[in-house]
Amino acid sequence: MHMADALVSAPVAVSAGVVAAALIVVASKKVARIKRDDILPLMGVMGAFVFAAQMINFSIPGTGSSGHIIGGVLLAALLGPWAAFITIASVLIIQCLIFADGGLMALGCNLINMGAMSCLVAWPLVYRPIAGKTFRKGRVFLASVAACVVGLELGALLVTGETELSGITSLPPSEFLLFMLPIHLAIGLCEGVATGAVLCFVGSYKPDMLYEADHVAAAGKSGKMTRRTKTVIGVFAALALVMAVSFTWIASSDPDGLEWSISRLTGSTELAPAVTPATAIMPDYDSTFAGVLGGLIVVALLWGFCSILFRKAQSRKNAEKL
Amino acid sequence: MSKLENTLISINSLARPATDRTDAVAMLAVTLLYLVAVLSVPLYAPQRIIWLAVYPVVQSEVSGIGFLRVFLRSLWVLPLILLIGVFNPVLDTQTAFMVGGVAVSRGWVSFISIVLRGLLAMQAVLLLAMSAGFYDMCGALRRFGCPRVLVTQLQFTYRYMAVITEEALWMDRARKARGFGRRNYPLRMWGRMVGQLLVRSYERAARVHRAMLARGFDGTMPLSRRTRMTRRSWCFIAAWTSVVLLLRFADISSLFIK
Repeated sequence: MHMADALVSAPVAVSAGVVAAALIVVASKKVARIKRDDILPLMGVMGAFVFAAQMINFSIPGTGSSGHIIGGVLLAALLGPWAAFITIASVLIIQCLIFADGGLMALGCNLINMGAMSCLVAWPLVYRPIAGKTFRKGRVFLASVAACVVGLELGALLVTGETELSGITSLPPSEFLLFMLPIHLAIGLCEGVATGAVLCFVGSYKPDMLYEADHVAAAGKSGKMTRRTKTVIGVFAALALVMAVSFTWIASSDPDGLEWSISRLTGSTELAPAVTPATAIMPDYDSTFAGVLGGLIVVALLWGFCSILFRKAQSRKNAEKL
Repeated sequence: MSKLENTLISINSLARPATDRTDAVAMLAVTLLYLVAVLSVPLYAPQRIIWLAVYPVVQSEVSGIGFLRVFLRSLWVLPLILLIGVFNPVLDTQTAFMVGGVAVSRGWVSFISIVLRGLLAMQAVLLLAMSAGFYDMCGALRRFGCPRVLVTQLQFTYRYMAVITEEALWMDRARKARGFGRRNYPLRMWGRMVGQLLVRSYERAARVHRAMLARGFDGTMPLSRRTRMTRRSWCFIAAWTSVVLLLRFADISSLFIK
């Protein structure tokens, strides 16, 4: 689900960046107020753990393929929502910078789609009410699956909205959603089962590691789903449906925001009028084709020139050092 | 070589900058400006995006990294871009222009545009990561106003990523040695193994915290001093800002058109 820079326009990337930055500031303040002095090293090691766990695949029965954990709901169940958001943000930033997984400008979108949806929406509204305050394997497993599916589906919905608002794809919003939602439903189910398996192990082996460990001590209370829980889930499902319908309606294949603003200002989507010099090198070709070809040639020549120039300088320096 | 081993090599290779000639704050500022410039080019004008390749080409050679290395690594992003962009040629069949009697549709033009945007944006990010180094980049983020908690968290995560990945590698090797060639794990076994890794990581975090307290840790990690702005940094920013703005707003392609 990592969005690349190519899939977002500048206005969408900047808007999402502002929202993500605001969430990071709020999360940082919330984490600074946590009264555990080992929270920072714990978050660091947990971030590293999610990173390492993503490299270990499990086999998906009957498909011949394999999957790995993403970690948003898992982190929220261990660290709490805000600390988990900061941790997943650090993992996403490092993935972007080291593994080129997701773009730097699209980082805001990725933080909202993968971090905020799992840790700040799916965990408090889906996981927490279903899992309840008493540790029970079945309920934790069910809560993990439900929260991961909801988190990933909301993320996929936002990816569709962001890509459509950027005007990148020619796919109509409804078709794009039909393409994205089923894939992410399958991914969400796998992620949920994996998260449930890890949380059940942790709950049985070392229950004090769970975020609401103090509630675990209050075992013996009814593990049944309360009426309030059912209401929360119902409201959330309705909200998801409303969001899906709204996004389908809002998203359109109109020109991107920058083009729209330019056309409002100048009456054309181009900033500069086309210049037609008499010295044109490829006069018979269309401007797009000629432009791309000309650009490629010049860039290739520039590369050759730069590499000869700077390698010579480098080898001279190396020779001087020796 | 396994995925875990490859990851370890990548983590360690980016700890320190590839070159001492560029500083992280200037690189980060130029990269952000460059990305805004690339992403703001209209989708149906790939002839204007291509000129922005000047930055990754020249900067990668100037910093001694080499454009070929950056270009090859940027190809990782292609599958995702192709997945989204591949529908454009199919759905948008309106003719954009003719080349030697062959009609090229608007869908293909936007597809080329998406690929170029993706590759150039990725090359700029890779260049930033390779030339700035991770710890200097954290310093640069702090200078840009990034909250201290997030920067400290980034440093911690990066520092312990190699350690935890190494631990996962040992567990993975031990499992493979007894696995008779089986590459992936059944879910039940995977859950126990990753759960075990989680518990070990948690216990390690407690040991790390005690060790840090013993060495005077006060809640923040020290930042690199190499992130102070110098006259050279300002010159670097001014030069690349002028070039990027010129390439973005001047229609250089018109030199090739009648």
